[in-house]
Amino acid sequence: MTIKPPHKPLIPGWLLVVLAGLLVFGLGVLASSINERRAESKLARVQFLQPLDEWESDPAKWGVSFPRQFISWESTRDSATRPGFLPEGTGDYLAQRPELVVLWAGYSFTKAYNKPRGHYHSVEDVTGTPRVDASTPATCWTCKSPDVPRLMARDGVEAFYANSFDHYRSEVTNPIACLDCHDPQTMALRISRPGLAEAFQRQGKDVTQASHQEMRTLVCAQCHVEYYFKGKEANHLTFPWDQGLTVESFKQYYERTGHVDWVHAISGAPMIKMQHPDYELSRAGIHAFRGVSCADCHMPYTSEGGLKYSDHGVRSPLMNASTACQVCHRWSETDVRARVLSIQGTTRAALSRAERVLAEAHLEIGDAMSLGATDAELEGVRHQIGIAQMYWDYVASSNGLGFHAPQESARILGRAVDMAQECRLETQRIRARKGELRPLEMPDISTKEKAQAFIQPYLEAQKAAAAAR
Amino acid sequence: MNLRERLFDTWRFMPGRQRTLLLLLLGALVGMGLYLVRISNFFSYLSDDPRACINCHIMYPEYATWRHSSHGRDTTCNDCHVPHHSVIAKYRFKAEDGMRHSAIFTLRMEPQVIRARPEAIHVINDNCIRCHGEQIVHTNLADHGRLCLDCHREVPHGRVHSLSSTPNAAVPPLDPVIPRGWMPGSPRQPGGSR
Repeated sequence: MTIKPPHKPLIPGWLLVVLAGLLVFGLGVLASSINERRAESKLARVQFLQPLDEWESDPAKWGVSFPRQFISWESTRDSATRPGFLPEGTGDYLAQRPELVVLWAGYSFTKAYNKPRGHYHSVEDVTGTPRVDASTPATCWTCKSPDVPRLMARDGVEAFYANSFDHYRSEVTNPIACLDCHDPQTMALRISRPGLAEAFQRQGKDVTQASHQEMRTLVCAQCHVEYYFKGKEANHLTFPWDQGLTVESFKQYYERTGHVDWVHAISGAPMIKMQHPDYELSRAGIHAFRGVSCADCHMPYTSEGGLKYSDHGVRSPLMNASTACQVCHRWSETDVRARVLSIQGTTRAALSRAERVLAEAHLEIGDAMSLGATDAELEGVRHQIGIAQMYWDYVASSNGLGFHAPQESARILGRAVDMAQECRLETQRIRARKGELRPLEMPDISTKEKAQAFIQPYLEAQKAAAAAR
Repeated sequence: MNLRERLFDTWRFMPGRQRTLLLLLLGALVGMGLYLVRISNFFSYLSDDPRACINCHIMYPEYATWRHSSHGRDTTCNDCHVPHHSVIAKYRFKAEDGMRHSAIFTLRMEPQVIRARPEAIHVINDNCIRCHGEQIVHTNLADHGRLCLDCHREVPHGRVHSLSSTPNAAVPPLDPVIPRGWMPGSPRQPGGSR
């Protein structure tokens, strides 16, 4: 029998029971959390691996055994790879810097030149650009897909290069991923493309002797380098490394071999287009000097629940400055960022100056031609402007806006502007000999469309001359 | 009628079955509390044993680098990381830091790179001077607001810091939750004795 309370109790009895129950539950959750984190400390290092085929190019198949690496690799889909300078979306460089259209007149880069995107987009981007057409060789596939090593092994490297781009369209489907850098059996880093190994061999070095830390740079150097297609028909992908990795040694190499990428449509100068000498330029920087690899900053080690892995979302280190920079640089993230952006801003300003001067030099040589200057008279300045632009391009086409080697970038750009101005002086003398003393009035190339319209007659004249020959 | 009596009324007029349930739950609460004390190695935090700091695995890099450094033989974590000018200051600092660490670790908010807070930096610097005071001759450096660690950057945790900077480091394992010797067949522990 219950005793009737004389008045209502302050807290009803059932509420006490519920409160006590909730407390027990809460402590239980806390205990579970502690136990989970205790368990993390002894995570078994045993992994159950799905065996992979020798030529497995589908990253999702690798992802079954290596989910963290796979998921971080997938994040290269996001286009926000570079903070600070470049707008989102495709990032049309020609619209941002219309001088480039003049610099590359006569070369396919005047059709389109966009901000680079992550590895995830490599196949989509190479098939989507108007620079690729029916005359493109299969060599352009080399760095775009992990399907390539299989096709090279099947058809032979020489035959692969000699084929057309279209020939392999149906067989190349996966973007840059696991097999490009890893051995599918042991997961060890390995060189899967012949270009780098051949360049090492010509220098008397053996790439298979590289240490693990060196490999964390060299797998990137399979593609993020300057290269050219050797031989009109063979299109053999070749690194111009025989004299060294500096822009001067590239100049020597190309002068020695006589290789020319195209003839400039306005100035008639023999031109070399640099690709993206990221590896070469970064060798001149302080990070490389101190033994820091590409992966140390672009794929930093990350810890997740007591498990260490390398972040495969290759992108600007500024996107995660904490793991990429602050492990060594004990400054605030704001300071790290400000430092990098200031270096990139300085380089950007120097690049813009060089672009302006180079464009003026090409136009002035073109004007000297219309005044009746002969090829013999113009040979010197044409050669010089080709070299100056190659110097500029060594920095311009490298990713990182000079950050990989700030001092070297500034030196090269200074030299590029210097050579271009020397070239303009000499051109001015030639124009004066033809009776023209006034400076050349610059055309309006303030937008991409105006610049493209401006070079159009030169392109047609070049085409007509080629047809007549 | 005062508050205490009114609260007591709740208990007095509770139906018997509710009372039993409440008592059981209160018992569970006490038991769970003891269990928490056990699995969290609660009492280790009152000691100066560096193993208390690796109750959480994210401190493994700090432990491993300290253990292999010149400081690994004669100092403990607390020698540098808590103030020593008074016992009260020491335990107050420990309590504050400990609560913050456990909250962050439980909520999984730990950063990839652990860095000392400004308060902690001053505690560390004071402790450098506490032991090495006699060796500091060039006091003009310290007079200008410089810290010992501004130059001695690698002391003692090395150059590169992050949660993943010492993978597979050999650190002492956590003690098992069930005390050694309670189970007749419990696994042998490193060191040979049960």
